[in-house]
Amino acid sequence: MSALQAKQISRSYGGTRALSEVSIELLPGSIHALCGENGAGKSTLIKILSGVETPDSGEVTLNGQPIPLGRVHAVEQIGIVAVHQEPVVFPHLNTVDNLFVGREQSKVGGLWLNKKGMREQACQIMHSLGEAFSLDIPVGQLSLAQRQMVSMGRALLHECRILILDEPTASLSARESRSLFATMDRLQQQGVGILYVSHRLEEVFQLAQQVTILRDGQCAGTQPTSSLSRSELIRMMVGRPVDNPSRQQKKTKSKSDKPILKIRGMRRDPVFQDIHLEVYAGEILGLSGLVGAGRSEIARAIFGLDPVDEGEIWFEGRCLPEGFTIQDTMAMGMAMVPEDRQREGLVLPASVEDNLTLPSLIELSGWMGMHRKPRHEASRSLIEQMGIKTASRASSAQSLSGGNQQKIVLGKWVYRQPRLFILDEPTRGVDVGAKEEVHRMIEQLAAGGSAILLISSDMPEILRLSDRILTLCQGRIKGEIASHEATQEILLQWALPEERDALS
Amino acid sequence: MKDGFQGLRLGKWMLGLLKQRAAGLFCFTFLALGLVSLINPAFLAWGNLRDIAVQAAPVCIISCGLMLVLVLGEIDISVGSMMGVLAASMGAMVSATRWGLSPWIAVILTLILGTLMGALNGWLIAYLRVPSIMVTLGMLTALRGVTEVIMGGTWITDLPPGIRYLGTGSWMGLPICLWVCAGVIVLSTWLIHRTPLGRRIFAIGSQPRAAHLAGLPIQRVKFLVFAWTGFLTALATLVSVPQLSVVDSGIGVGMELLVVTCVVVGGTSVSGGTGHLSGVVFAVLLMTMISTLLIFMKLGENATYWSRAIQGLFILGAILLDHLVRSKKSS
Repeated sequence: MSALQAKQISRSYGGTRALSEVSIELLPGSIHALCGENGAGKSTLIKILSGVETPDSGEVTLNGQPIPLGRVHAVEQIGIVAVHQEPVVFPHLNTVDNLFVGREQSKVGGLWLNKKGMREQACQIMHSLGEAFSLDIPVGQLSLAQRQMVSMGRALLHECRILILDEPTASLSARESRSLFATMDRLQQQGVGILYVSHRLEEVFQLAQQVTILRDGQCAGTQPTSSLSRSELIRMMVGRPVDNPSRQQKKTKSKSDKPILKIRGMRRDPVFQDIHLEVYAGEILGLSGLVGAGRSEIARAIFGLDPVDEGEIWFEGRCLPEGFTIQDTMAMGMAMVPEDRQREGLVLPASVEDNLTLPSLIELSGWMGMHRKPRHEASRSLIEQMGIKTASRASSAQSLSGGNQQKIVLGKWVYRQPRLFILDEPTRGVDVGAKEEVHRMIEQLAAGGSAILLISSDMPEILRLSDRILTLCQGRIKGEIASHEATQEILLQWALPEERDALS
Repeated sequence: MKDGFQGLRLGKWMLGLLKQRAAGLFCFTFLALGLVSLINPAFLAWGNLRDIAVQAAPVCIISCGLMLVLVLGEIDISVGSMMGVLAASMGAMVSATRWGLSPWIAVILTLILGTLMGALNGWLIAYLRVPSIMVTLGMLTALRGVTEVIMGGTWITDLPPGIRYLGTGSWMGLPICLWVCAGVIVLSTWLIHRTPLGRRIFAIGSQPRAAHLAGLPIQRVKFLVFAWTGFLTALATLVSVPQLSVVDSGIGVGMELLVVTCVVVGGTSVSGGTGHLSGVVFAVLLMTMISTLLIFMKLGENATYWSRAIQGLFILGAILLDHLVRSKKSS
C-alpha cells in the first residue's frame, strides 16, 4: 500500500517542459531518495507535491485520496509537509513565533495566545533536533544551519505523514546532519514517509531504501538502493552518452602565451575559496558544477559585482586594484551575460535599440548628448550581426522570444569588443534552434580572439563548447580536464561532494 | 581596513541604540524637558504639560494603527485627509443648521465611516494589489476634496455641547482624549503581543514570501490593518476636533506626515517586520513637544517656524539610523 502516489505529472514553464509524465510512489515508513542533475525537475516535482505549484496534468493522491493541488495550507493540513532548500523563516521573529505563526495556540477563542504552551512545545521540538540555541533571539541572527533547523522544526510541528526534504544537509555541519538523520529515523519508525532530495550520494545510499532518478524532466527509473552502486546511479542520472558531433573536431588551439585573465588565490567566504585559473585569448574555459557550487559567485566577483576577501585578479597583464568595480572591469574590456536574463540582463520594457546601446551610451554620444543616428546605426548593425529576429528596433525587449532576448544581451557587449566574456548559463530557457545559434556565436567570439569563461549546467553544452573544463565543488576547484578527455561521468563525479564525516 | 574596524564599532553602538530606541527616546524627551525648564520653568506647569498630552493624544491614537501598517511593509498617507472628511461630516451631522443628528448617532456613524474609508484603502491594496503609496496618495487628494464639498466653503460653528464634551470634558481629572488614548495603547499592546493576528502582522512584514509558503492569509490581514487604522483615525477625530468650537476644511492637513514621522522615529522599520509600540509613544510625545519647546526657549518668533524643519530632520535621522543598522547587520 502506498501512502503518497503521484501519477503522470507534467509541468511546463513557458515553452520549456520541466516535468513530463513523472510518476513516483512513496511508502509509509520509508525513505525514498530523489536524484537527478541540475534542472532535471526535482524542485518542480517537490513544489507540486507540497502544493506550491499546480501541475499541468496528472494527479497526486495520499492513501487513495486526491490531494488539493496548489494550496500549501490545505496540503499541510492533510499531512504533507515540505522543508525547502532555502529555509522558510521570518527573520525578525524569534524561534517560537517562527514555529507557530499561522498555527498559533490560543485560549479564549483566539483572543489570548498560549505563549507558555507554545514555548514549551518549541523547546521540546528544537531539543529533539539537538539544538540548544536561545529561542528568544530573532531568527535572522541565527546561522544558516540553525535557520534550516528552525524550518525543520516548523515541519515537525505538523502531524506529518509525508515529509519532503529538499537538500536539508546542504548548509548543515556533520553534527547537525547527524541529529537530522536521527530525527528522520525516528519519524520513519512512526510510519512517516520521507522523500529525500540530496546531491550527496553517500547519504542517499545510507538513508534511503528506494531511489527515483529524474533526467531531463522524465523519470529515469526507480530502484532499491541496495541493488545500485554509486557509479550505476551516476550513469542513470547522466543517461546514455550523448553524442557531441563537434567534440571530435575540437581545435587543440595554439594557446597564446599570455592569459587574458589570471586569478590567483581568490576567496570570498563562504561561497568560494582558493580559486586559481587562467583563460587565454581565443579559449573557452568551462566552469561546471552543481547549483550552489559557487560558479555564478565567482563570475560576479571577477566582474566587480561582489567584493573579494582575498586574491589577485590579473587582466591582460594588469592587476586589478583592491575594491575594483564594474566600471573598472567594463572599461578594461570585460563583459558579462548574467544568469537571470530577465532581471539582470535586460531592461524588459525598453526597446531592442535601448537595450543594445545601453553599455555604450557614452561612446555613442557627442558633446550635446546622445545622437540618434549613431545609435540607429549601431543597433541596426548589431541586429543584423547577431541575427536578432525582431519586428523593429523599437519593439520592447519583452516582446521577443528567449533566444532573441539572449542575443540582445550578448550583442550589447559585442559592440564594445571586449577581451573577456563571462557567460553565465547563456542558453538557459532558450529553445533548441536559438541555442544552436548562440553556440555558434560563442565560438565565433572565441575565434575572434576573445577569451570566454563559460558557466553552464548543461553538460553536453559545456563539453561541446569548452576547450578546458574546471569543475567546482562546494566553492573549490575539484578538477581540471581538457574537454576532449572529459565525459559527463567524470564531471559529475567531481561535482558531487565526497563522503563526509557525518556518515562515519 | 582600519576604517572598516572603526565602522564596525560604530555599527555596534548604533545597533545597541536601535535595540533600545524606546529607552533612548525616553531619555531624550526628559533631557529636552529638563533643559527647557531650566531656561523657562513655566514649561513644567501642570497646565502646559496637560496641553502637550492633549495635543499628543490624537497623534498617538493614529500612530498605533499606522505602526502596524508600516510593520506590514505598507504605508498610509491618507490619514490626514480622512480626518478632514470625518471632522466635516461629524460637524455637519451634529450642526443644528445642517442635519442636526443626536451626538450619539454622530459618534457611531463617524466611527463606521472611518472604518469604511480604511477598509476601502485595504481592499484596493490587499485584494486589487495596488501599491499602498499610490492608493493612499490618491485618497489624500480625493478625500481633501470631499471635505471641501461637505464644508461648502463655510465653517461649522454651532457644535452642540454633547459633542463638545468629547473634546473638553474630563473624567477623574484627566481629559477624555487621554483616557481614549490610554485605552488604544493597551488594546494595541494586547493585539501585538497576545493575539495570533498580531504575530501574523509581524511575520508577513518580515518575509512575505515565507508567509505565503506558510499559508498565512496575507490579504485578509492587510485589509484588517488598514480598516483598523481608519477606525483609529475616526476615534482620534472624535476626541480632538470638538476641542475647538469651529470645524473648518483644513482639519488634519499635514497629520499624515506627523504620524509617519512619529512611527519611524519610534523605531519602526520602513521596510517592515519590526516596531515597538513604546518607542512610537515616546516619539509622539517628543514630536508634539518640539513646537511648544521652541516657544518656551524664548528664541523669538522665528523659532516656532523651525518646528517643521526639525520634524523633517528627525525623520531623516531615524531612517538613516535604521538603514545604517540594517546594512551593518547584513554584512
